[in-house]
Amino acid sequence: MTVPKADDPTGLPVSAPNIVASPAGRSMIRVRGMTRVYRMGDATVHALSGVDLDIEAGEYVSITGQSGSGKSTFMHLLGCLDRPTAGTYELNGQLVTRMTDAEQARIRNKNIGFVFQTFNLINRTKAIDNVAIPLIYARERRTRDRAMKALEIVGLKHRWNHKPSEISGGERQRVAIARAIVNEPSIVLADEPTGNLDSRTGEQILDIFDRLNAAGTTIILVTHEMSVAARARRLIHMADGRIDADAPVTDALRTELLQSAVLGAAHFEGHVLTSSAAGIKNKKN
Amino acid sequence: MFFFRIVMMSLRGLQTNLMRSLLAMLGVIIGVSAVVSAMSILSGAQKEIAERFESMGADQMIIATGSGRRQARHVSFDALKPEDADALIASCPLIIAAAPEFQNIAQVKHLQKNKQTQLLATTEAYSSMNDYQPAEGRFITREDDRAERKYCVLGYEIAGDLFGNLSAVGKRVKIDGQGFTVIGVMEKKGFLGFRQVDSQVIIPLSTGLKKLFGVKFVTMITAQAKDQELLDAAILQAKRSLRAEHRIRAGTPDDFQVFTREQAKEQVADFTQIFEIVLYSIAGISLVVGAIGIMNIMLVSVTERTREIGVRIAVGARRRDILTQFLLEAMVISCIGGIVGVVVGAAFADLLEQWTRILHTFTPPSAVLLALFMAAGVGIVSGIYPAIRAYNLDPVEALRYE
Ligand SMILES: Nc1ncnc2c1ncn2[C@@H]1O[C@H](COP(=O)(O)OP(=O)(O)OP(=O)(O)O)[C@@H](O)[C@H]1O
Ligand SMILES: [Mg+2]
Repeated sequence: MTVPKADDPTGLPVSAPNIVASPAGRSMIRVRGMTRVYRMGDATVHALSGVDLDIEAGEYVSITGQSGSGKSTFMHLLGCLDRPTAGTYELNGQLVTRMTDAEQARIRNKNIGFVFQTFNLINRTKAIDNVAIPLIYARERRTRDRAMKALEIVGLKHRWNHKPSEISGGERQRVAIARAIVNEPSIVLADEPTGNLDSRTGEQILDIFDRLNAAGTTIILVTHEMSVAARARRLIHMADGRIDADAPVTDALRTELLQSAVLGAAHFEGHVLTSSAAGIKNKKN
Repeated sequence: MFFFRIVMMSLRGLQTNLMRSLLAMLGVIIGVSAVVSAMSILSGAQKEIAERFESMGADQMIIATGSGRRQARHVSFDALKPEDADALIASCPLIIAAAPEFQNIAQVKHLQKNKQTQLLATTEAYSSMNDYQPAEGRFITREDDRAERKYCVLGYEIAGDLFGNLSAVGKRVKIDGQGFTVIGVMEKKGFLGFRQVDSQVIIPLSTGLKKLFGVKFVTMITAQAKDQELLDAAILQAKRSLRAEHRIRAGTPDDFQVFTREQAKEQVADFTQIFEIVLYSIAGISLVVGAIGIMNIMLVSVTERTREIGVRIAVGARRRDILTQFLLEAMVISCIGGIVGVVVGAAFADLLEQWTRILHTFTPPSAVLLALFMAAGVGIVSGIYPAIRAYNLDPVEALRYE
């Protein structure tokens, strides 16, 4: 299933994801009271303290917040890489928090694609072999064609035979995205995907996310950069393990975000959400 | 298919860390090649020993000096006399032939040609009992022996060495400085028992004892029973006869020992068993060392690839898949080491055969199977702990690992 997109500058086909209709009108992602506490000896760190969140299929959400506010912790929980200390997580109507490790592995494999700040490619194998890894764990027989197709989506078909050390950082991240989408997941989780890239290269990555989202993939993206956050259609701000702002990215907000991007993120943290965006603060369902 | 992929993945990993992988394999390579080469040498020797035994008659007994019992206090090495052979024939109805032998190393000379070789002093019976005939001329006779004639019969090879294509019969040779006349050249035979007879020189027993060696005893007597079935009875007769001849009182142990082909085989089997035990102990130790080597490398590998493990889990690997991967990887290293070890071991045995020209080696398929089996075992043993370490990694921490 490929969805050609008219306004796509690369004109490349994008695969439609494994969208599973949520039963009974429920959100695709439904998080309630999600808490993650780390115990380090006597001290306890509340990385996440009671997060409630719903995300619908096909959304494009960016999460911002200061360092240590719990963004990555939340992403790991959404990606079934970690289990919450308390709270529930429903994905497509299934209670993920009740699943066995093997069931969660299947969810990670089929429904979720991870993109990391540091790419996390396996350096000794070629791009195509990196992309094919999720297919191998899916016990797919023929992986080459699908891995090639994923590389084509990120515009790196011609680099299939190269090792990560032989390509640029931006290209590495595109290979990582190809790996994330090769199983046609419904959700792509990206934790600071442009954090290690210059802004122009970052743009290319964001273009790919735009296209994936246009084809129906839900994108959840953590970033420190306001210009990156402005690409999303919904903005979530976290502080101290809680969501303290959640708003759709309106044209007005986007303008403000882009302005603050010029002025620096600190301005956004202190100003945008407390003044002009105050109306959307603590929006609850 | 899944496992195949996993193995291919680990092979690629080995390729990038070639030197390290080779070092990790070294222990297994050494262990396995030691086992294979030792087994090749051992089974080659066993095969050869078996063949040698076949050339010794099943209806024969060998009487040698010494007591079969280890605790014998006083055993004279000169207990066996040349007359004992005649006594055996005379007093044992079940013994139809007996050949006394005295063996030594001697210098044999003809013109400029000089050879050090085996010298055998024996009687007429030796030829017929061993079905070993002269190809040219004649064998020594009872008369030659009685008259202590300085006659000799040359083995096939030594005749060629000394005389080339010329006929040796009638020629003169010097044995340890004394002149002898060649009366015959034996047929080509190879081995008789454990003796390479083609390079042997045979002289009459009394000539040897009196004129060359200056002794009054023989080293052994080979005696032949009337029939293979009657060998045990013949041995009883021989023992009784020799005890009487040597005037051994009742209650005193024999001053000689009698053994048959079967008994000799058993003794060799006992010996090879000891050899085998030593061999397997060495193999066991080197395989343990090999396992530690692989475990070490695998632990390093798990640590180095912590992030990779995190990524694999993030894209859908189950913990069990991670366990399988590292276990298989250890097995791949170990089995490659095993295969290399088999090749090295077999090649080493082969080289040994070519260098020494005495050892005959044979690599049995069972040795190869055993070696590979051991290598796989080493892989499992050495891989299990690192694999469990990988299995227990927390994916989030693994992804954060620097
Ligand atoms: N394994 C851990 N053990 C103890 N504390 C942890 C652990 N992982 C995270 N934390 C703590 O939890 C809090 C949230 O961390 P998290 O990584 O989610 O932050 P973040 O928002 O992603 O920050 P950044 O923007 O720097 O990536 C931090 O205070 C952090 O120190
Ligand atoms: Mg983070």
